[in-house]
Amino acid sequence: MILLLLVFSVLGFEPMQDTVSLEQVEVYAPALDRFAHGQKVTNLDSKVLEAYSARSLGDMLQEKSPVFVRQYGAGMLASPSFRGTSAGHTAIFWNGLPINSPSLGQSDLSILPVEAIDRVQLQFGSAGALFGNEAIGGSIHLGSKTDFGKGFEGKLSQTIGSFGLFNTSVSGAFSSKKFSSKTRLFRRIAENDFGYQDLSQPGTPEVREDHAEVEQVGLVQDLAWNLSSKSQVKAAFWWNKAEREIQPVMGSNTTDLQSDESIRAVVDYFRFGKKSVWNLKTGLVRDKMIFNESLNQTRQFFLASDWDFEAGENWKFKAGARATFVKGDLSTYSETDQRFEFYQSAAWKTSEDLSFSFNLRQFAYPGDVVPFLPGIGADWRFLNKEKQELLLKASLGKGFKVPTLNDRFWSPGGNPDLLPEESINGEIGLHWLKKGNFSWEQSLTYYRMEVDNWIIWLPQGSVWSPENIRKVQNQGLEFQGNAGWKLGSWDWELGLSYTFSEALDLTTEPSNPQQLPYTPEHQANGNLSAEFKGFGLNLSSFFVGPRAIGTGNARVMDAFQIWNAGLTFSKLTWGKVQFPLSFQVLNLLDKDYQVLYLRAMPGRSYQLNLTIHL
Amino acid sequence: MKNLFKNQLWAIVLLVFAFSCNDNGGDEPLGKYDSGVLIMNEGNFGTNDGEVYHYDPATGTLTHDIFELENSRPFAGLLEDMVLEQDRLYLVANTGKVEIVNPGDFKSIGAVINDLDQPRSLATASSKLFISDYGPYNASYATPDSYIAVVSGLDGGTVKKKIEVSNKPEDLFANGKFVWVAGSEEGKLEIIDADTETVTKTIDVEGKPVQFFQLGSEVWVYSVDPDKVSFLSLNLASQSVKEIKSFDVANATGRIAIGEDNKLYLVTSSGWPDYQDAVAVVSIADNTVDTDWTTGSGFYGIGYDQTKQEIYLTNSAGFQGNGLVTVFKKDGTEVKEMEVGRGPSGFVFR
Repeated sequence: MILLLLVFSVLGFEPMQDTVSLEQVEVYAPALDRFAHGQKVTNLDSKVLEAYSARSLGDMLQEKSPVFVRQYGAGMLASPSFRGTSAGHTAIFWNGLPINSPSLGQSDLSILPVEAIDRVQLQFGSAGALFGNEAIGGSIHLGSKTDFGKGFEGKLSQTIGSFGLFNTSVSGAFSSKKFSSKTRLFRRIAENDFGYQDLSQPGTPEVREDHAEVEQVGLVQDLAWNLSSKSQVKAAFWWNKAEREIQPVMGSNTTDLQSDESIRAVVDYFRFGKKSVWNLKTGLVRDKMIFNESLNQTRQFFLASDWDFEAGENWKFKAGARATFVKGDLSTYSETDQRFEFYQSAAWKTSEDLSFSFNLRQFAYPGDVVPFLPGIGADWRFLNKEKQELLLKASLGKGFKVPTLNDRFWSPGGNPDLLPEESINGEIGLHWLKKGNFSWEQSLTYYRMEVDNWIIWLPQGSVWSPENIRKVQNQGLEFQGNAGWKLGSWDWELGLSYTFSEALDLTTEPSNPQQLPYTPEHQANGNLSAEFKGFGLNLSSFFVGPRAIGTGNARVMDAFQIWNAGLTFSKLTWGKVQFPLSFQVLNLLDKDYQVLYLRAMPGRSYQLNLTIHL
Repeated sequence: MKNLFKNQLWAIVLLVFAFSCNDNGGDEPLGKYDSGVLIMNEGNFGTNDGEVYHYDPATGTLTHDIFELENSRPFAGLLEDMVLEQDRLYLVANTGKVEIVNPGDFKSIGAVINDLDQPRSLATASSKLFISDYGPYNASYATPDSYIAVVSGLDGGTVKKKIEVSNKPEDLFANGKFVWVAGSEEGKLEIIDADTETVTKTIDVEGKPVQFFQLGSEVWVYSVDPDKVSFLSLNLASQSVKEIKSFDVANATGRIAIGEDNKLYLVTSSGWPDYQDAVAVVSIADNTVDTDWTTGSGFYGIGYDQTKQEIYLTNSAGFQGNGLVTVFKKDGTEVKEMEVGRGPSGFVFR
């Protein structure tokens, strides 16, 4: 068998997703595709990314994935919750580099614009052995795509929309067989002066939001050189800056301002052997956040190396190490931190239809050592016919999260004695793939997870201090299905997803555990689209069930369902130049809703996009 | 004769007035919330889920979120204080508003929603509202522009004047046309003439004065220091401090309940990192102190039910969700525990 490491063309993210248009990815499939047997992994394909190109990763995940995104308003903080865990329980990678802030231990998805990335993969469940720190509820894998031999390509895209939205992006790419470069620049301004019903005032009058303006600019540069047939260098650089007026919660008249500026850079060197590849990776992430006048800066420097090799026909291995150096200069403290980790993975293909993977990681930081973190999984294709496949996936894994710099050092209140948070996750999933005129792919996954030593900041008088206090038991059911068919000249696609997520707080009232705050038990989304001679129509909806705003028998917020609709035309051309057009209506039924209590969200809005492909 | 008639007339007028008052009082049906206990839940910072719960000790019934229940909209603020004056209940939100409700049915009467920053408490005098307000934070989170906001009329409206006072004014006490201000940060008592709306006198005091209270016929100010608490009795006529009683009670938080027999129940907290909370009992009459009447963690507010002679102690439960109220007898035995709203911080016993 040929090792999936060849330089130019390896297919696919997930071997079973034949119905989804497969794309060429460069170099080799990441660990996610090679050693994540038995785990739930989903890809957001390039069509979805294109539809969300003028929006944020937070919006996309809320509307198109089983992830619950806690949105603090329009363009405001958006934090992911996988399987009932918190934002800090989600590892986020960009081109293999962990990009969560080391001081906060999480990322704000609203300042990760979709146009900065080419691929998004979501992995569910604890995978500390495979992905390391913070992969407790799941992980998000973002990346650039490198093309070779495509010559010059250019794109100019302009979106205008309601509530003062102007989104401009320009990209230019050039690639020969040896060299590839892609540059993109984007800028987004949103006044967010939407109207909402102010519940805090007598008579609940309709008012305009006047403190939620957002401006975001970014530059992404991707480079790749094929130094020889046996070696390649890739580099990526991402500068992103967001200036935001922080939308106050209803009833408050705060006028906070926040500026976030991040620089992320990664350089990879690959050396390809006959049945092996050696990778040397170095990277830098610098985050600078100014909240009102307080400045918080962190720098992370990464150095990693791993070796991927095949032994015989049926075994694949990976072994590597990573060192992370962190420096934090926060408004109340300055500290450094180091992390060292060693990881090994093995995949064993016992037959065409049955394969296993074993993953292991050792992790050390100045506070503690996480000595032995295993993960195991299997994929068994028990039905493999010409037009149908049934696949059983099962896995068991552990996850952990090192206390953040703020958890340990914030002054006053930081707690240097904190233990890492830890989790164990088991899941079993059934995948059903049907090919043909009416094709579908469906998956049903049951998971069970326990998170312990969960860190919560609690007030001790006027000072808040973190403690390893919470213990949570999660279980749930995730269904995702996609179907496609042809009706005359119309191409139809239907996507449906439903998630049941139970996350019981065993701490507050152990005898009668309640669902964690802001963790809906029920969540669903659906999408119906049709294409006819370059015209595209789509209707989509997402549903978020009731959720409590605090522990115990706290207030429960109503469920909401939002509808979006869109119209696209992709056949407008002038010579070789294409002008795809799209028009979208968000919150079609003008639903008055809040994701988090008293955080106003916009009503119906319109977005018109014109793109020029050169 | 003339004088006698005049006197008689006055007597008649008074009599009629007295009867009419009496009649009115007797005839007016008692509102749902005119008896029982109003529990003030401050709410969580950034969530603005402050609310009032009602507890009926006779039936044990606890009613949630009565502001929202009666007004079909959430309170939407951090509830800092509840003041019952002039047949109105003033709900002071430190997120920048005062809601005014009828205390019997909790229906909204009015509000002060603009021009406030961080209101703390309220008093009425000369048919005006006086609202203590920290003022806005500056860049270093200090509040150098604290004020007392003045609103004409008792049912809310716009702020007509801001009277500059020392930093972080807390409780207010009205005596005739004079409004006393507990200036907590700089240790001052400031006296405002409600008619001229100016500060007419300032008295420097020890510690941080936070709360006025009445004990018998005396008016006192509760003032806290890191290692002691002081009670200052006031001479309202001469506008001066009559007497100071200090006790060795460390780490008082400023929350106080006025018990029987000149006993005062004070919440104390060592704060971070030891974090030990307690209730201290001070007897002003015989100068005794019990610094650990009860101990624990998470203590936040305290109240005293004069009719049932019970102490109500709240636990914030870390503001993660609903808090707790524990009811004690005077001897410290626990009578009841109930889950209430977020950040329970005080009570009005009706």
